[in-house]
Amino acid sequence: MSLVELKNVVKRYGTNTVLNGVSLTVEKGEIIAIIGRSGSGKSTMLRCVNGLEPIQGGTVAFDGIVVNDPATDLRKLRQHVGIVFQSFNLFPHLLVEKNITLAPKVVKGVPPAEARALAEAVLRKVGLAEKIDAYPDQLSGGQQQRVAIARSLAMQPQLMLFDEITSALDPELVGEVLKVLEEVAREGMTMMLVTHEIGFARKVANRVVFMHEGKIWEQGPAAETLGKPRTPELETFLSAVLH
Amino acid sequence: MIRELSYIDVLYLIAATRWTLALTAIAFMGGGIVGLAIALLRVSSLPPLRWLGAIYVHAVQGTPLLAWLFVFFFGLSIFGFTVSPWLAAAAAYSIYAGAFLGEIWRGCLQAIPRTQWEAGASLGLGFTQQLRYIIVPQALRLAIPPTVGFLVQLIKNTSLAAVIGFIELTREGQLTTATTFRPFTVYLIVAAIYFALCFPLTQWSRRLERRLHVAR
Repeated sequence: MSLVELKNVVKRYGTNTVLNGVSLTVEKGEIIAIIGRSGSGKSTMLRCVNGLEPIQGGTVAFDGIVVNDPATDLRKLRQHVGIVFQSFNLFPHLLVEKNITLAPKVVKGVPPAEARALAEAVLRKVGLAEKIDAYPDQLSGGQQQRVAIARSLAMQPQLMLFDEITSALDPELVGEVLKVLEEVAREGMTMMLVTHEIGFARKVANRVVFMHEGKIWEQGPAAETLGKPRTPELETFLSAVLH
Repeated sequence: MIRELSYIDVLYLIAATRWTLALTAIAFMGGGIVGLAIALLRVSSLPPLRWLGAIYVHAVQGTPLLAWLFVFFFGLSIFGFTVSPWLAAAAAYSIYAGAFLGEIWRGCLQAIPRTQWEAGASLGLGFTQQLRYIIVPQALRLAIPPTVGFLVQLIKNTSLAAVIGFIELTREGQLTTATTFRPFTVYLIVAAIYFALCFPLTQWSRRLERRLHVAR
């Protein structure tokens, strides 16, 4: 059974169709890069996977659980699906430690001492062990995004979603975040990432999915798809972003 | 019978202030409970609950507090219920303060970006957990200045309770004026007492706001 299975997903905002019959499967351990113009539906598709976006047609399943079934307990599902946002969305009133330990403590009932150790461990992983007692606004954008990744990792998810996580960063800070991402990838995490970093997608992703006008226009192994686009739309897109 | 204004009158005025304070405390507590419920209804994800909250707020904000005092004190007695001034005032002021506090707090809750709720939801927190650990602590900081601002209004509005028999600060001032015929001096003293109550509150609110801002 695939870890993620989207079948004919349709998403509309009023009369505007954002996803127009999207089908995609993701196997355990796969790293999928989703590329495309803004407005092509790539972020929306990602947000459907953990149920942040209700859909109007088709099905989204994670580990056999139908996400868009009203009877599904989304809280339970989201413990297994982490997401990192473009704008970090750290909790500004909480220390880095509390940002990370809130969900493990409240949702999973991890005892405080254990939670603190967990925070230390995930912060080491993203190279920010010394920032455990800082507030988010004392950190740079790149550091905040690394804390957001650590916060997500602390829930020990089976799947991680990354929604353009370097797009809001100053160019010189992108590298440190991608490095952390690579590290997470190396540990075998299943990942779906919406990105504009084509070079990074080629290097890290197993598969590239190109979205266009609310559809999956083209997909395939990263190097091949990015090296020899089969559709003129992908070719145009690539030549636009690579220059 | 006109007599001289003496320091005893000033003491009476100060003594009457305790009813002003007691009324304010009751109104604020009752209004706080109602207001919290209204604010939560207004940010609920279920439309009927939101409408219920909105109807309440509009109904109360669109009617005078005086009318509510009359309804509870005189209105209910027509139907054979004897209502003490305390009970009538507590009910009327709770209804009134609840609508305004509810609206203030709704604004503060909604001022927290939607992405904060989303971040909480994505980590597996339920609605009440998101509210309790993420939204309310941030909204609280925003809520302090307008809440204290309303509290100051409330202190001054307790004078309306005089119409149902409360002898609080303003009413005591009226009585003193009637016997001494020194309205200017008496009401100046009354105003000074109100000022002495309200001014420290606004100052305290400012300090609190600054401190919470630094400590998050």
